[in-house]
Amino acid sequence: VLVVCGPGNNGGDGLVCARHLKMFGYEPTVYYPKRPNKPLFEGLTTQCQKMDIPFLPEFPAEAALIDELYGLVVDAIFGFSFKGAVREPFGSILSTLERITVPIASIDIPSGWDVEKGKADGLQPDMLISLTAPKKAAMHFAGRYHFLGGRFVPAALQEKYALNLPPYPETDCVLQLT
Amino acid sequence: IPVSSRQAFPLPSLPRKQPTVLVVCGPAQNGAIGLVCARHLRIFDYEPTIFYPKRSPDPLYRDFTTQCEKMDIPFLSYLPTEVQLINDAYNAVVDAVLGAEAEMGEGREPCAAILATLKHVRIPIVSLDVPSGWDVEAGSSGGISPDVLVSLSAPKQCARRFLGRQHFVAGRFLPYDVQKKFELNPPEYPGTECVVALRAPR
Repeated sequence: VLVVCGPGNNGGDGLVCARHLKMFGYEPTVYYPKRPNKPLFEGLTTQCQKMDIPFLPEFPAEAALIDELYGLVVDAIFGFSFKGAVREPFGSILSTLERITVPIASIDIPSGWDVEKGKADGLQPDMLISLTAPKKAAMHFAGRYHFLGGRFVPAALQEKYALNLPPYPETDCVLQLT
Repeated sequence: IPVSSRQAFPLPSLPRKQPTVLVVCGPAQNGAIGLVCARHLRIFDYEPTIFYPKRSPDPLYRDFTTQCEKMDIPFLSYLPTEVQLINDAYNAVVDAVLGAEAEMGEGREPCAAILATLKHVRIPIVSLDVPSGWDVEAGSSGGISPDVLVSLSAPKQCARRFLGRQHFVAGRFLPYDVQKKFELNPPEYPGTECVVALRAPR
């Protein structure tokens, strides 16, 4: 699995994801070109390294190469606070990802999408994992699998923001919505 | 611990109508883990009540307390010494009083009084990592007898003396270098579970 981590919190989520993928028997590889100078992200990176997860020095040049090397790509580039123009290297990365044929799983929001309106000509992931609650853009999600994760919102907050979250089964922390 | 509790005490099997659980939290790390446990029990639809007489000043542990308060989890102002009151009000007790680090804790108040009470409860006790008051290696003579033990990371030596019904290990997320360094030989965790029941050594 190729896990592509962006420069902010979504990238941090990607690092956590990579570590868990390793624990669950997958073989993740991380690409993490822009790393924030903060202890949280440095710690997450260290954890991945201690789990022997390789970090690519450069992004695969072509979509065909990604298709050959990986069965899945986790898109952890941009999250819900993304706005405006895409800075390099993420512009080229997203262009390449738009051309791969292996499935993409996006964390919270497909990278580059507007959090409410989506992006018609943008990334089209096969799987979306909405964190805490789906964002408005999820209405434009056309992939096969939409999951909800982040089972920790207290009842009082759910009511305050009228989240209307569906009940999670048993002790699962993930719920399949479609 | 809540996942283990759910396996050991599934909601439909609880004797009382309300799925009440008493979580007794000590002053140090074991207690803090108890607070996290209480919050998850709440998320998983149990009704936890916390007794946390000696609160740590550590900012992280204070945050755990705030989270529990924001989840509307009640905090008892005292622990009844009349054991029957505990037996009647709750389905189980989570023992998060003392962990592996406790050397002197057992003798000091309020832990000593708490342990004296817990020794006499009739409802099941779920102990976190080390049954409170047990020596981490030698075990206990006359201490509390938990029904369920949840070992954190890996079982401690005293777990050999555990005589209760179920022993779980929660240690799936230990980094490989730590596992190798301490030769932990962790068990196989099924699927994406982060807790596994160990077979009772009989």
